[in-house]
Amino acid sequence: MTAILSRLRTRGWLTSAYMLPVSAVMALPFYYVLVNTLKSQAQTTGSPLALPSSPDFSTYRRVLNEVPVAAAFANTLYVTVFSVALMVLIGAMAAYALTIRPTRFNRRFGKLLLLAFVVPTQSTLIPVYQIFVKLGLVNSLNGLVLVYSAGSIFCWFVIQGYMATLPFEVIEAARLDGCGPWQVFWRIVLPLIRPILATVAVFQTMWVWNDFLNPNVYLSDPAKSTIVMEVYTSVGQFQVDWPAFLTLSVMALVPMVVFFVAVQRHIMSGLLSGAVKG
Amino acid sequence: MAIQTSDLPTRARAGTAPGGARPARRRLREQLTTQAFLLPIALVLVVLFLVPLAESVYYSFTDYSGSSPTRHLVGLRNYRQIFTDPSVLTGLGFTLLYAVATTLIVTVLAIPLAVILNRRFPGRSLVRAAFFFPAVPSMAILGLVWTFVLSPLSSGVINSVLGSLFGVGPVPWLSDNTLAKVSVIVVGVWAQTGWHAVLYLAYLQSVPRDYYEAATIDGATPRQQFFRITLPLLAPAMTVSQFLLLINGLRVYDLPFTLTAGGPGYDTYTITQVLVQRGIAEGDYGLGAALGVIFLIAVAAVLSLQLSVTRRLERRFR
Repeated sequence: MTAILSRLRTRGWLTSAYMLPVSAVMALPFYYVLVNTLKSQAQTTGSPLALPSSPDFSTYRRVLNEVPVAAAFANTLYVTVFSVALMVLIGAMAAYALTIRPTRFNRRFGKLLLLAFVVPTQSTLIPVYQIFVKLGLVNSLNGLVLVYSAGSIFCWFVIQGYMATLPFEVIEAARLDGCGPWQVFWRIVLPLIRPILATVAVFQTMWVWNDFLNPNVYLSDPAKSTIVMEVYTSVGQFQVDWPAFLTLSVMALVPMVVFFVAVQRHIMSGLLSGAVKG
Repeated sequence: MAIQTSDLPTRARAGTAPGGARPARRRLREQLTTQAFLLPIALVLVVLFLVPLAESVYYSFTDYSGSSPTRHLVGLRNYRQIFTDPSVLTGLGFTLLYAVATTLIVTVLAIPLAVILNRRFPGRSLVRAAFFFPAVPSMAILGLVWTFVLSPLSSGVINSVLGSLFGVGPVPWLSDNTLAKVSVIVVGVWAQTGWHAVLYLAYLQSVPRDYYEAATIDGATPRQQFFRITLPLLAPAMTVSQFLLLINGLRVYDLPFTLTAGGPGYDTYTITQVLVQRGIAEGDYGLGAALGVIFLIAVAAVLSLQLSVTRRLERRFR
């Protein structure tokens, strides 16, 4: 008996025996959401955790007809792609210049950036909102992209740490061969720092795609809603129609699942290298 | 030798000619171009950080609002209002409670979880994914989903399980003052524990196995190994993890807003929700700016406190 128990222990089955049920409880909300998209209203409220008697996909069709899901995804994609590209580029450019030219002025400038890194969005929200109102950039997707460019400070911070690992002989050699700073940046530095660019882009994509605060403050036109906003406003619309709301949630969650599976490697390596973000 | 010395002045003279000036001028131009790489981030720094921060401080001493075109200095009136307004005060209190509670609970749960995930067992990657995944989707959507799980009606997931298994009547998870606070904190812990466990796991994987082998040979119990080897080696990870948890906790907005909308009453109100509601929606810019300034001071205070505490801990473990 003890022999069997110890063999089970060395193979880790005992750990599985309690960790798998605990994980199932952790994942319960996701199971609940998914299973209820295939049920009728009565089944959802009557037995929330039961499997559907017969899977019913009509809710998906209904939600697609009533909610502009495609438009919301297009808006979110637009904002995410342009803001992440912009902030990663700005951050990489800054990290490059501060690494190549560590003058006294530039080192002080780096310290100032470090201070700005700690300033929370909330502390600048009102004046930034005012500035954007004056510039006519409120209620505009491009305005939102500019709001997110504040994230370039975080990108700079992470990329700067990675820059120290670059082989400077390569950059020096390219300069002697007549490459200007732009060419060195585009042709040599950017390809060399691709791993950290991927990591930082993944973290910023998760932030922008999932953000609720900024779209809630800056966007008021329903036609410009991001997907998270669309789910939020649909709560009122589907107040009693639980399956419809849960179906919309699943539609909003699916891209994040796909994204997670595709980039899990970068998230983990980012956590390993300390490139973490709250 | 002689030829070379006689060459020198010629070369020096040639340096002033257009052709020879290229290296010096090229270097200057390169340095200017390189410096220009800082322009975009300087623009971001000035327009999105420095100017707004200065304006925040200035607005916080004025009665600036959306309804009146002129603004006047009103001294500390906005600050006095913040510290006497019950809704703002409860928002401040709950934000602090949430930040501290999630930081402590997630740390206490994530470290043992990381130790378990560092072992080899069947289904490990499945378990890791199940714990980590809640950190991936939007907190706003997760908050909305949890309103169904925690629904006070008997058809809420938890209430229906409690009802059918134990015959317990529907529990008002989100409409009771204390339970609502607890619920928000529990969902916050649920969403973050796996992410932080993976962070700790990253540090654990760099601990040499020899340490544990040597400790086992010396007769150390698993309990002693955890407290004497694992925990001290995780001290740097704790600094990073708790820093992020505290910052995230103080900034919290989406989760309580979508789960409880700040209710019941103002019990799960957060600073950010007050700031958005009063400062943006109701157009009381002066009050909103004052809240932003207080927020900055609170974040700076909590973070420096956390840094000094963890530094002392790290020193003790060494």
